[in-house]
Amino acid sequence: MNCKLFADRFKPLTDPFSSKNLIIFGTGPLVGTIVPGSSRTVAISKFPATGAVANSCGSMSFAFNLKQAGFDHIIITGKSEKPVYLHISDDHVELSKAKVIWGKDIVETTNFLKKKHGSSGVIAIGQAGEKLVKSSMTLIDKTSTLGRGGLGAIMGSKNLKAILTQGTKGIPIAELKKFNKLYKNLIERIRKYPHRDSWIELGMLRSLPVGMLLTAKGQKKKARQCSDRMYLKKMKKRRIACPSCPMADKDILEIREGEYSGLINYTSSIINPLMMFIVDGLDTYDQAIKAFDLISRYGLDSLTMTALFEFISKMNEIDLLTNEELGFEWKRDYKTFNHLIEITAKREGFGDILADGWKKLAEQNKTFSNEMLTVKGLDVIFEPRFLRLGTMEFEQVVNPKGAHVASGGSPTYVGAGGTLDKMKSHFNRMGIPETAFSRIFDPPKKGMGVNVGRLTRYSEDWYTVLTSLGLCARAQMNRFFSLDLVTDLYNLITGFNLHQEELRLSAERSWNLLKLMNLKEGFSRKDDKFPNGWFKPLKMGENVLKFQDFYGEVIITQDIANELLDDYYDERGWDKQNSYPTISKIKALALEKYF
Amino acid sequence: MVKSKLIEIIIHEERCTGCRICQLICSSIYKNKYSPTEAFIQIVDAYELIPKISFLDGCTHCGQCVNYCLYGALELKEGEE
Ligand code: SF4
Ligand code: SF4
Ligand code: SF4
Repeated sequence: MNCKLFADRFKPLTDPFSSKNLIIFGTGPLVGTIVPGSSRTVAISKFPATGAVANSCGSMSFAFNLKQAGFDHIIITGKSEKPVYLHISDDHVELSKAKVIWGKDIVETTNFLKKKHGSSGVIAIGQAGEKLVKSSMTLIDKTSTLGRGGLGAIMGSKNLKAILTQGTKGIPIAELKKFNKLYKNLIERIRKYPHRDSWIELGMLRSLPVGMLLTAKGQKKKARQCSDRMYLKKMKKRRIACPSCPMADKDILEIREGEYSGLINYTSSIINPLMMFIVDGLDTYDQAIKAFDLISRYGLDSLTMTALFEFISKMNEIDLLTNEELGFEWKRDYKTFNHLIEITAKREGFGDILADGWKKLAEQNKTFSNEMLTVKGLDVIFEPRFLRLGTMEFEQVVNPKGAHVASGGSPTYVGAGGTLDKMKSHFNRMGIPETAFSRIFDPPKKGMGVNVGRLTRYSEDWYTVLTSLGLCARAQMNRFFSLDLVTDLYNLITGFNLHQEELRLSAERSWNLLKLMNLKEGFSRKDDKFPNGWFKPLKMGENVLKFQDFYGEVIITQDIANELLDDYYDERGWDKQNSYPTISKIKALALEKYF
Repeated sequence: MVKSKLIEIIIHEERCTGCRICQLICSSIYKNKYSPTEAFIQIVDAYELIPKISFLDGCTHCGQCVNYCLYGALELKEGEE
């Protein structure tokens, strides 16, 4: 729905910072209800880091409140003369002066607005958004990130500091009795899930034990600092949940000792600061949390800042980026990391270049782009030389947005190391048609087991189904859903009578529409490019890791990578030469109007 | 702590995640819609360091919110008649 609203109003090739660029915030039809994990906010816009039209998702209580106020979408266009924030409280919709919060960080802004207006959902930008830093994001309720790739800057360009939603209208259910029965079954399944307690206790640390990564790097001392025990004893303050979620994983952290004792940080997951800790240069866990807190307050992206720190450190070590060019003495340490954050958020000195993103940085030296681990101007999140090539890693290459985590319910994760039968049951859950199975199990090289290119198409569709309904796609929540079940939930809540195939088709339609919009922005197959660095070995402590398929049987070469891309386009019904959707695909999806 | 003739609900605020499932259940039973602000149980400062949980007049002590709170923030204790 968000995609269509955008496509109907957006003029191709509009500059991301033009007043004519739009931001559309959307909620799904299940948002505001008790359906587990139904609290997602989706924002679509043309993003400055990449120049792509893209969706971005977040959670916490913004969409929930918007829906309770009686709205499904907010369309933001134009530009305010002076800083403002948008206040929506049931039927009361008002742009209010934001003079006192302009220049303040996200935490201060959110606290101020919640104190002033009471219980609400708040999306806010920090100083980085105000300064149009192209990697700036927004935070929902100072916790959940929304808008990797510059949503903060787009709001900043419109002088829109924040949006606050409050709703008291309530949401009626079409078939309450039947719905209650279904809900009861679902919640009992969740209650009985044997790993639920440990998920709640450890949050995302359960899914990605950072200590293991550090151990692989040979850094046992650092690894010990982020064990489960240390997390519980020294970092975790409180677990919080998005409205309706029985599998909460959001963190309120507290540093209890040392220099930063007393620091409180809200984060969508403990993994965020701990992933920063992996980088060489941060020595203690509390440095990582402190630096992460600063990044969050400014509204920067912790992944991008960490990748920049790593990149500049490397380039500085081999004299490709000297201290003179940087304007200060570079060291791989905490102090320098902090300085990097400050100058980027404020656009000071070399920070002005960094604030314009990877593309601008690449212009500084011809060799840089070869060394950067980016796709379409966004730094990659999942490193396939460590994790191997699953759908999440592959999706980063083909996602119209650029390197991004959008292929929820990645079967290569759920089936990790498992049998192909396990994968099949997972495919059924996602609603992958049986006719596609034989193609998915036919990879370019024997031994690879699955064809990640073909499978990614279905991962994207499944993710889009969940997102468009407003459902959480995180693994621990996603695992309880199936296409059958979410269709039933949708029908009982709305009173419609949709077939699951129609739901799947509408997800496919919206993905194709997104693709079409980006073709008009000039993207094509040439931009779906595997970073060169992936084909080189990665040194991790004593280990040398190579780019391997998901089962670790085959080394991925450029040729195999190209074949996987061919297969992905083929499975999507797109032309292999330029990645355009074919005429027959456009017709089948009734998208002629947008071609 | 709220006492009634039949049941007693013990509140463990430190375990509350602010998920509002209790409010959604209560309002669906008594108002036929999902409307946390109209529930007989109120969660204030859901995302602050310590949320505040209270029961409003009108609460029938049916215990359904306790039943569906999956985080152990609400606990049912048999009271004396
Ligand atoms: S799993 Fe996490 S992100 Fe998803 S709904 Fe629950 S708290 Fe929110
Ligand atoms: S009391 Fe229980 S159900 Fe209610 S908000 Fe807190 S954790 Fe959720
Ligand atoms: S005990 Fe029953 S009436 Fe009272 S708040 Fe809970 S669900 Fe509502």
